[in-house]
Formats: sequence, structure tokens, C-alpha cells
Amino acid sequence: MLKNYFKIAIAVLKRRKFFTFISLFGISFSLTIIMVLTAFSDHLVDSSYPDAHRSRNLYISMMRLTGEKHGFSQNGPPSFYFLDHYVKKMKTPEKVAITSFHQPTNTYINNKKLTIDQKFTDDTFWEVLDFEFLEGKPYTRQQIDNAERVAVISENVRRKYFGDEPSVTGRYIETDNIRYRVSGVVKSVPITQFATYGDMYLPHTLGKRDPQDKGLNGDYFAILQGKDASSLPAMAAEYDDIIRRLPIDTSRYDKISSRADKYVASYTRLFIGNQDDSGLNRLLLYVGLVLLFFLLLPTLNLVNINTSRIMERSSEIAVRKAFGASSGTLALQFIVENLILTVIGGLIGVVLSFIVLAIWNNSGALEDVYLYLNYKVLIISLLVCLVFGLMSGVYPAWRMSRLHVVTALKTY
Amino acid sequence: MLKHLFTLIWNKKKQHALLILEMIVSFLVLFAVFTLIVYYYTNYRRPMGFRYDNVLSVSYSSQPGSGSNRDSIYNVFQTLRRSVKSMPEVIEMSYVSSNSPFSMNTSNNGVSYKGVSEMTNYYTTDDHFPEVMEVKMVEGRWFNANDALGKEQPLVINDVLKEKFFPNESAVGKTLEFGDGMHRITGVVQTLKDKGDYAPLKPGTYKRVRDSSFMGRVLVSYNPAADAGFESRLFITFSGVLKNYTIEIERLAEKRVIMNNTTLVPMIALLVVGGFLIVNVALGIFGVLWYNVSRRRAEIGLRRAMGATGGGIAGQIVSETLVLSTFALIIGIFFAAQFPLLNLFDMPSGVYIAAILLSVLFIYVLVIICAFYPGRQAAQIYPAVALHED
Repeated sequence: MLKNYFKIAIAVLKRRKFFTFISLFGISFSLTIIMVLTAFSDHLVDSSYPDAHRSRNLYISMMRLTGEKHGFSQNGPPSFYFLDHYVKKMKTPEKVAITSFHQPTNTYINNKKLTIDQKFTDDTFWEVLDFEFLEGKPYTRQQIDNAERVAVISENVRRKYFGDEPSVTGRYIETDNIRYRVSGVVKSVPITQFATYGDMYLPHTLGKRDPQDKGLNGDYFAILQGKDASSLPAMAAEYDDIIRRLPIDTSRYDKISSRADKYVASYTRLFIGNQDDSGLNRLLLYVGLVLLFFLLLPTLNLVNINTSRIMERSSEIAVRKAFGASSGTLALQFIVENLILTVIGGLIGVVLSFIVLAIWNNSGALEDVYLYLNYKVLIISLLVCLVFGLMSGVYPAWRMSRLHVVTALKTY
Repeated sequence: MLKHLFTLIWNKKKQHALLILEMIVSFLVLFAVFTLIVYYYTNYRRPMGFRYDNVLSVSYSSQPGSGSNRDSIYNVFQTLRRSVKSMPEVIEMSYVSSNSPFSMNTSNNGVSYKGVSEMTNYYTTDDHFPEVMEVKMVEGRWFNANDALGKEQPLVINDVLKEKFFPNESAVGKTLEFGDGMHRITGVVQTLKDKGDYAPLKPGTYKRVRDSSFMGRVLVSYNPAADAGFESRLFITFSGVLKNYTIEIERLAEKRVIMNNTTLVPMIALLVVGGFLIVNVALGIFGVLWYNVSRRRAEIGLRRAMGATGGGIAGQIVSETLVLSTFALIIGIFFAAQFPLLNLFDMPSGVYIAAILLSVLFIYVLVIICAFYPGRQAAQIYPAVALHED
């Protein structure tokens, strides 16, 4: 039965090549755009090198102090002091990593400027994240406490600063007029991974901050790692408890708010959310609406084309009806035919996406950002494809099933 | 004739409903794209108001808490200025706030005149800013050290703010309420488009920096003949005076490209997606029209037999499609008109109107192109053959 449908579908596709081309063009290009976007958002959101365990991590990146009486409000990353004194002592997370946001510094090699983004970390940072060391090793707790000038650099900096030398561990690198001894070299992290990106990782004791300062705002953030995904709610609850109990300096502010969030929520809260609502659902709603609107045009187009094509086959349909085929059978046949068409379009779309992504990966438009089609992207596109096929097939099939046998037969 | 076409289409409105819906959605997509194009293009055509070639932006930050002594900050900044100016390539330097040209930072402050208040971009600079940036004064002059001695602090405003507060009079000498008190306007500067080529002009105020306050950024203009080593020598000069500071040197011209890209890259992506959608729609309309012609062979044959010329038939097909798209456009314009009427997204309504006109024109041209070939096909139908089939 299905084999017959398939044969008919192929025969119909061959009959009016121009219409087939329009349909396939619409389906495959819409899918290509969706697949490339999915691959990109997947790159942003999903666990990837070196942040490989996002499903069991929570991130603390914002702290807001508000004083309604004074009209005072300060919003920014928490300070090292706060993270070290309160968050580090939390019981539910297995490990807590503290690191600064990256900060650019300049160095000049043969009068050519090289910008090195520095990131100050503690020793747990290397345990929480799965960095791939090309040579050497991370700095130790001991070295951090002694404020030794040691650095872990990225592969990119090794190439730009040292050239093609095979091993640079133990050598010195100078930036901002300070010399650091290279302790190890890691595989480069793309700048899209804000939590882990850096060109040069340094012990936090070398960071430019006042050790006496006990303020809550600074420029550090923390990654809390639990045993598995199920321990996240307990970690978030413990953190909320810490925030509730923090001593409040009532002369300046009367409310402290900060949350431990999952990776994506920690960004959506920053840009479109607030303290009570992470904004994640709203983001999903926006994305869904935009996607729906984007798919609306190709779908309408396909419906129009399909309706035209199906009416062209009115004689065939009329004959089949006259011989006893029910409307349901015919509608089902048409929907299956349409699904076959969309799947063929989808396959072309996959090939096109491979080409687009290969061009992107070779262009190096964003350093170290490589996009791939993984099974998740493929499954999403397949779903989109099916929705596409159903949406554009149902209405024409319904129109066709209402065709009167007599009038249809009379036209020819 | 037109009435006849309307009747023809009205009778088949159910069949055409989807085609009309498709045209409405395409119109709205085009409207959105054209709104952005018109908006960015009008911004792009306005002058920058300053120069960005051969200007370096140097930012520095230190350990918080250290160096809070006001006298020492003043001395350090004086020393820095002397050392930098003594370099032969340097033309002029100026201390500026962190919202310097092409930076991502902004700071806003309310300013009011006779009870009317306005949000403005709020810049802090020193007396040398106009020489470094080569800004154009519309009236008056930039502030200097003598102005700071007066009762009211000096202030320079840009011409967008001037048009809001003093549309038909001179602004120089007037006083504005701003931040910590009254300020006297010493001059009006031509608005600096300092957030990139595609940014809109916004009201702005320039306040004179106090001698004792810390400024985290310096703009340095230099001789275009400076050699490759200039930047690293400048770096050494800075780090010699500002010890234990993190120093970053950036070229204003490069920052401009980055700033422009934040507008251009999403715009290009939008154009690619929009272009694809339009091609898709065009092919679809073309296919449907073509099919309609082949279905109406009998009718067209009859029209030919009754004396209609080939040109007349082609004209009829094209005009029918135009009437059809007019239906769609009327509905589409109804939705699009809500944007200027309700003043959504805070854009000038001229942009919306231009965008609506462009989209209407675009849809009409697109439809004519799509209907042309099916129309010609219809014109070639022989009445004898077509009538014989039926």
C-alpha cells in the first residue's frame, strides 16, 4: 500500500517539474535556515568543551542591591569576597569554582598588538571544567596561595605569542608589563562560551582587587557543581537561604537579590528576566512565535501549490471515487504523498545545511566556533519537516475529499 | 472594466483566500524589512560629526581602593598628559568618560529647561575634546578653564537637544538644570553620531571634568605619518606613568567597524532570510497563476472567440492579479498603519510611511512580474482548440 503511494508520489513529482522545484525549494531552504539556527543555538546552550557537565551545574553571575528609600540600585557580578566566604562553604554542591569575567590586556610583539583576555580563577575551576591540556598542567592551590605568577594559556595565544614552538611550558609570557611563567597550554575556548572563555588563566590572588574590600559586588562568578542533575534544586534552595541570611547594610540598601541558575537561565535572567522570573519561558515563547511566523509563509505557499496540483488531478480522484474509494482513503493518500515530498525536501535541506556549515567552519568568522549537525538538530528538523508536511497537506486533502464525482468527471 | 474584475475575484473569494493571506503575510514581512532599511539608511546619511581616523582610545583600570587621594590623581593625570604630549607623533589628547565614541557604554541623565525635562546622553570630557575629535561647533564655543570659575558650571549641548529646548533662538548663555545644579551653556556642537554609522542622533550634554576626578579613558589623536612602533611606544609611556594599571589601546577606526557590524550582521541575516521568503512567495504566486490559466482555458477561449485580443487577455490576467493583491494590501496596510498611529517602537512615523509605500510598490512589481508569463501563455490560447476541448 505504502509502496503504491510512494510510486504515485514520485510519478506526480515527475509530471510537473516546475511545481516540484518550487515545493522542494521552499521546504529545503526553510529547513536549512532552521537547521543552521538550531546548530548555532545548540552551540550556545548545550554542554560543550570545556563546560561538559552543564546539566549538573548552577551559575551565580549576578547580584542586585536595592534600596527603595534612597532610590539606590546596583546590579553587577558578585565579589570574590562574597563567593569565597559564603558560596564556597555551601554543603550541597560537590565542588564550587570561582572565576572572574575575562578582561582584555595588551602586549606588543615586534610592534604588533596582541590582545590577551585574562581570566582569574581558583584551583577548583580546573576540576569543575574539563579543559584539554595540550601540554603542562594547571596551577595548584599552593601556587595560588603564594600568589605565584603562573599562567595557563590557550592554544591561540601560544601560536600568536610564541609562534610554532612545540613546547612552551616553563617559558615566560609578558602582558601589561608583567611576566608570567607558562604552566600549561589548553585547547582554545570560543568567545561564545562566556563562562569559560579566556586567553590566559591566572591565579585569583593576582587579580586586581582590594583584599580589604568586603563589598558584595565585584567581577567574579561561581559555578556550583552537584553530584547529578537531581541535586540542583537543593543547591538552589541552599543558595536562596544564604542570600536571605546575608547581613544587610541598611544605610545603603534594604534588599539583596541573587539566584543560582542553570546555564541558559543565568543569561535570560540578565537580559529579559528579573529576580522572580528567569525569563526562560518568555524567551522560548518569543523564539516559538518568530519561528511560527517564519514558517507561515513557506507553509501558505506550499498549501497554495498543493491545492493547485491536487485540483489538476481531479479526474483521477473522481475515477477512484466512482470506483468506491472513500474520502478518508483519498485524503490519507494525499497526506502521505505530501509527507514523502517534504521528506525529500528535508533530505535536500540536510545536504544544504552541511554545505552551509562547512562554509561557516572554514570561514573562521568567529574564532573557534565550529557548528555541527548532531542527532538533536536532525531530530528537531525532522519534526519541523513532519509538521510542515501535515500543515500543508491537510487543507488541500480536505478540499479534494469534498470534490463531487459527477462534476469532476464532467470536466473531462 | 475594473468593476468587472472585482466581481470576477469576489465570486471566487474562497478560492483566493489563501493566496490573499499569503500576500498579506509577505507584505508584513516586507514592511518589517523596509522599515529597518529606511531607518538605518536615513541614519547612515547623516554626517558623523567627528573624525575617527588616527585616533586611539586608551582605557586603564587600577586596583579599587588604591589612589583615592585627589591631589595625587590630579598630579598623575598632569604628568600623563605631559608625557604623552611630548611624544612627537601625538597631536592632542583628551580625558573622556567611558561612553567615548564607539564604546558599548552609555550613560543617561535628565536635563530640564523651564520645567520641561529630557533624557540625554551624558558625556564628561576635558577642554581638549574638540581638538582631538575635530567636532564642529554650531554656535558658541567649547568650555575652558575660565568657565569653571563662574557661578554656574559650563555645559556644551548638541544640536538635537538645542532643537528640542531652543528651536528658534540662540542657546548660548542660557542655563539648564542638570544633575547637581544649574549649568550655563557655552556652545552647541553638531551632534556626534558616536554609536556607529547606523545609530540615530540623540540629545547629548557635555560636562567639564573636575580637575580632581578619576577618568578611565583617554583619546589620543596622532599624526597619520606615525610608524608601526608608535602604538607600542605609547603603551610604554602610559605604563610608565600608570604603574600597576591594566592598559588597553584600541583604534577608533577599528572600534567603528565592530560597532557597525553589530547592526550590519543581523541586518544581512535578515535580508538573506527575507530574500529567500520573497523568492519563495514569488515562485508560489507564479505557479498558482500559471495553473489558473490552464484551468480557465475554456473561458479564455470563449473570450477570444468573442473578439478579445491576445494583449487584452494578457492584460486581463495581470490586472486580475493586481486587483487580488490590492485586496491583500488594503488589509496589510491596515495592520502596518497601527505602527505609526500607536507610535510603537519609538520610530519617526515618516520611516513607517516610507516603508509602507516601498512595500506596496515592491508587492505590485513582484505580482506584475509573476503574472506576466502566465498572461502571455493565456494570450496564446487558440479559441478553436480551447473550445473544442470542452
